[in-house]
Amino acid sequence: MTRLVPLLLILAITLGCNKDTDDPKPDFNKAALLTNISGDIILPSIGQFSADLDNLSTAFNQFSLDQTQVNFEGVQEAIKTAYLTWQTVKIFDFGPIRTNGIKSAIGTYPSDTAVIASNIASGSYNLSSLGNVDAIGLSALDYLFFKQNALNELQTSANYLTYAGDVVAKMVDEFAVVTNQWATYKATFDASTGTSSTSAFSEFVNEFNRDFELAKNAKIGVPLGKQSLGIQLPEYIEARYSGISLDLLEESIRALQKVYNGVGFTTGADGPGFDDYLIHLEKSNLDSTIDIGFNGIINKTNSFTNTLEQEMVVSVPELDVLYSLLQGHVVHIKTDMTSSFGVLITYEDNDGD
Amino acid sequence: MKITTVTNTFSNSVNNFLYQKVSIAPLIMFRIIFGALLLFGTLRFLSKGWVEQLYILPKYHFGYLGFEWVQKLPGNWMYLPFIVMIITALMVIVGYFYRVAITSFFLCFTYVELIDKSYYLNHYYFVSLMCFILIWLPGHRCFSLDVKRKSVPELHNVPNWTIRIIQFQLGVVYFFAGIAKLNSDWLIEGQPLWIWLQAHHNIPLVGPLLQEKWMAIAFSWAGCLYDLFIVFFLLMARTRKFAYLFVVFFHLVTWYLFPIGVFPWVMIFSTLIFFSPNFHEIALDRLQRLFRKDNSLNTATSNSAPFPSARWVNVTIALYIIFQLTVPFRYLLYPGSLYWNEEGFRFSWRVMLMHKEGHAVFYLKDKKTGRESEINNAKFLTRTQEDQMATQPDMILQYVQFLKAYHHGKVLHYGNEKFTIKDPAIHAEIYVSLNNRLSQKFVDKRHDLTTFAYDLKHRKWLEPFNE
Repeated sequence: MTRLVPLLLILAITLGCNKDTDDPKPDFNKAALLTNISGDIILPSIGQFSADLDNLSTAFNQFSLDQTQVNFEGVQEAIKTAYLTWQTVKIFDFGPIRTNGIKSAIGTYPSDTAVIASNIASGSYNLSSLGNVDAIGLSALDYLFFKQNALNELQTSANYLTYAGDVVAKMVDEFAVVTNQWATYKATFDASTGTSSTSAFSEFVNEFNRDFELAKNAKIGVPLGKQSLGIQLPEYIEARYSGISLDLLEESIRALQKVYNGVGFTTGADGPGFDDYLIHLEKSNLDSTIDIGFNGIINKTNSFTNTLEQEMVVSVPELDVLYSLLQGHVVHIKTDMTSSFGVLITYEDNDGD
Repeated sequence: MKITTVTNTFSNSVNNFLYQKVSIAPLIMFRIIFGALLLFGTLRFLSKGWVEQLYILPKYHFGYLGFEWVQKLPGNWMYLPFIVMIITALMVIVGYFYRVAITSFFLCFTYVELIDKSYYLNHYYFVSLMCFILIWLPGHRCFSLDVKRKSVPELHNVPNWTIRIIQFQLGVVYFFAGIAKLNSDWLIEGQPLWIWLQAHHNIPLVGPLLQEKWMAIAFSWAGCLYDLFIVFFLLMARTRKFAYLFVVFFHLVTWYLFPIGVFPWVMIFSTLIFFSPNFHEIALDRLQRLFRKDNSLNTATSNSAPFPSARWVNVTIALYIIFQLTVPFRYLLYPGSLYWNEEGFRFSWRVMLMHKEGHAVFYLKDKKTGRESEINNAKFLTRTQEDQMATQPDMILQYVQFLKAYHHGKVLHYGNEKFTIKDPAIHAEIYVSLNNRLSQKFVDKRHDLTTFAYDLKHRKWLEPFNE
């Protein structure tokens, strides 16, 4: 009993002493961050993507009825627009997007053109089957509408036109489910501020990191030969036929930077984001490092004027520089930022220590 | 002459202490309680789907040095040891074929733990040790089906050591957890508690306090003092009840704040062993009345059965105690930072001491062409395994050896080119952040990691840690 006194004494002293030496810190609340992310970024980007898909659907129908060059280009533009918006939506691979398997259904690349060709030839296919996961989504549309002679094929092959229409319709239908479910999931997301690996905040942080790593590996690393002994693999280039790969990379990094800073998707207003959390945790140096890193990557990507496939021929050293920037940035966000937040990066629930 | 007398007196008092007859009730209650905890833990593990997630799906497992021969069972056969554990935990609770049951449980549990060190937890180690101890104790000699079916005679008194060894093991867990906290990160910086506590700033009322650094430091000191001294307060009759309230409070707080599974419950219930025989006799008596009304423990005549020779027991207990007291200090044999190098880290009751986060990129180098590839870790490891491996040097070397064996002799086709990989080099660039510090380089790319042996020697290829 008496020996517990020192313990309580130390507790009391520690509690008492430091109260007045409290240094002023910017206020931060994880719940506000989640509300800002869901309200100002996730829901608006989902809404925009949904509208993009509707426009795509309309453009496609217009083209089906009147197969002119102008209407064809209308579809092409709609695909590009949706592809760019998708770069924001794909970050949020949790909740309704995860449970409905949307990231793989819409965003898987590269497409397996042989499977697409055989589907078109046979005219009978189930686009939801596992074997067709590489024959659907935005990447399939990139092939169907941007490959050589695409217009001609669409005009002459009824099967080809039908297939393209089915791919569009599948995306529209499936994404409508996400829009509906997010309307109710938002409340769950906003309230899930805990630290367990299943809390929305943890999932969000983890998927943010995963999306960045995926951009680094799949958009640049793999085509550049980083995982194939330096042998370039152009067939792995995202959106190879439209040639907008580097635009997609830039947009993807921009989207991640905006999420990091909590910048509203449509409003552009700066709300609570990871940056504010880091500053609150007295890590403003890390915050600037991360923001400068994002800018460096975006500027470097912007400096390329040709398509990725062309740049892979003429400016490999410059692409290597870009890749190193991406590689170095992973350490800042995945290791430094994430460990500061105290979320468990272990992706499974845990049984103790 | 004098020295002999002193030695004799000492050995007499040790013997008196170890073999003094005490009530069997605490041991019986412990058997029932601990059996129930084993059952609960196993059922929880199964219900979370972890057998599949942790043992069936992964392609590769990180075995323990010297125990790499322990392999998982194919496919769904991995459920078998868990089914055995459920059955034998039930048998332990009711004391039916007790020795067979607790031995089987110990073997199954330890087998599962030995498969993969990615899942190492101090409390799993504790469960293994406690099961091992229980094998040698007469936990079935009262209020058990074994007694009822007359397989063993009933016993009401046991030598003191059978209770004390359990208390000793619990004491080791607490005390060493306390010693491990005596470091500047914990006591001065309040890390890693500060990182973990601030993440709870949304809890009503106390939330805002939890994000204050002084609060983390207060928590750290309280936790350290608790771990160091709680056992002594539990041992003293005068302070016991108050100390136990502390135990319950402390573990409930950790259960609420941290994702530490069944550990709080194990400690809350196991520490009941510190209560007096009288306390356990009353509890057991009440329990017995539920089953038979006539025969209560207190009124029964006490008898005692022959126990193994004292010398044999003394030596074994002494060896066990020495083992338990030295293993946590084996880290002193290594130079450098314990947290950074993790040499002699496991099996030492270092509970919740570190927040380590790492990012590891491995490179396969074809020596013939000098070309290199980044390894896609997700192809071989689960996220949990990758995350654990990235910060633990011994696992890094294990993974390197696996990668080398996997690629050796492989023919890789890329585009129009073909490579036959022979005896590849593996390099790695790894960054690690420790207890809220900015990440530092952990492993430099200059080393061909296949040239280093995976053993217990100090690992010189790690980059030094800068405070």
